[in-house]
Amino acid sequence: MTGKHSTKDKVFYPLLAVTLAIFVYLIAYVFFATPVAQLQAGGLAQKIFYFHVPAAYAMYLCGAVCCVASALYLYSPTDTRDAVARAGADCAVVFGAMVLGSGPLWAKKAWGVYWTWDPRLTTTLLSVLVFVSVVVLRAFAGNGEAERKFAAALGVLGTVNLPIIHYAVLMWGGNHPTVITKTGGGLRHPAMSHALLVGFVAMTLLAALLVWARSRLAVADARVARLEEQAIASGKLDF
Amino acid sequence: MIQAQPTEPQPSTLADPNSRSTEFRAVEGGGETTSAGALLVAAYVLMWGLVLGFLLLSWRRQGRVEIRISELEKALATGGDKASPRD
Repeated sequence: MTGKHSTKDKVFYPLLAVTLAIFVYLIAYVFFATPVAQLQAGGLAQKIFYFHVPAAYAMYLCGAVCCVASALYLYSPTDTRDAVARAGADCAVVFGAMVLGSGPLWAKKAWGVYWTWDPRLTTTLLSVLVFVSVVVLRAFAGNGEAERKFAAALGVLGTVNLPIIHYAVLMWGGNHPTVITKTGGGLRHPAMSHALLVGFVAMTLLAALLVWARSRLAVADARVARLEEQAIASGKLDF
Repeated sequence: MIQAQPTEPQPSTLADPNSRSTEFRAVEGGGETTSAGALLVAAYVLMWGLVLGFLLLSWRRQGRVEIRISELEKALATGGDKASPRD
């Protein structure tokens, strides 16, 4: 698991290189090729959109990973399932912070305020806070079976909220833009659509890499806990 | 009294939720009057700072955990020294 040149590393590092290359291309494309949008949409600040929306999508992905792994853990507990659930929650918090950090900066230009209790913003905040609670619980409440199961239940709960975020604008209105729709969307320039598509690909790869790396860390953490238990039991480690 | 008519749509206000954007279209110039560039750069710095910080913390923690595993495995091996308690 912790070997320096495992088979997994042979896939991980090339994937990391590909992801970095796509991000370099994306950043250059967004800054130099995509046009400035109308002032109502934030003008130049609308370019935040090409990372903001893919980051939200990556949060959904990580939340889904957390949900599936948590549900599997509740069904039949293993260290690996717990590690993947934990990694999913960690990464969902990071992507959620990206969304909640970039959105207000765009909103300041488009709406004139950093924050408003718009349905989509509020449900996103709630969902991120649920994942934060999973991360905090696992970091400070120990590594016992009860804590793991409680965190897994919270992980499932946090993901149930994600579809509500997606449909919040349609159900309850609000100020949040609705440019991505089933009827083709409102991106009125080919460069805008291309940048968004590349953004989705880049964030999907980044989410996969982060969940992968974080899962390895969580598995290694679980191994430390097991070894410490063995060491205490055999008198090799002071309690 | 003659009033000047705005030539570019102004940013929507929170009092008018129905004026939210339903499409993005390209415009010439953009008519920027405030620091959209600064907001854009701040957003990118924030997002990449979060990712890089997360990667750095994970990398450092992975290193510490691997050292800890080696210590414990050594201690558990026959004749190994006693492992030190976790920090």
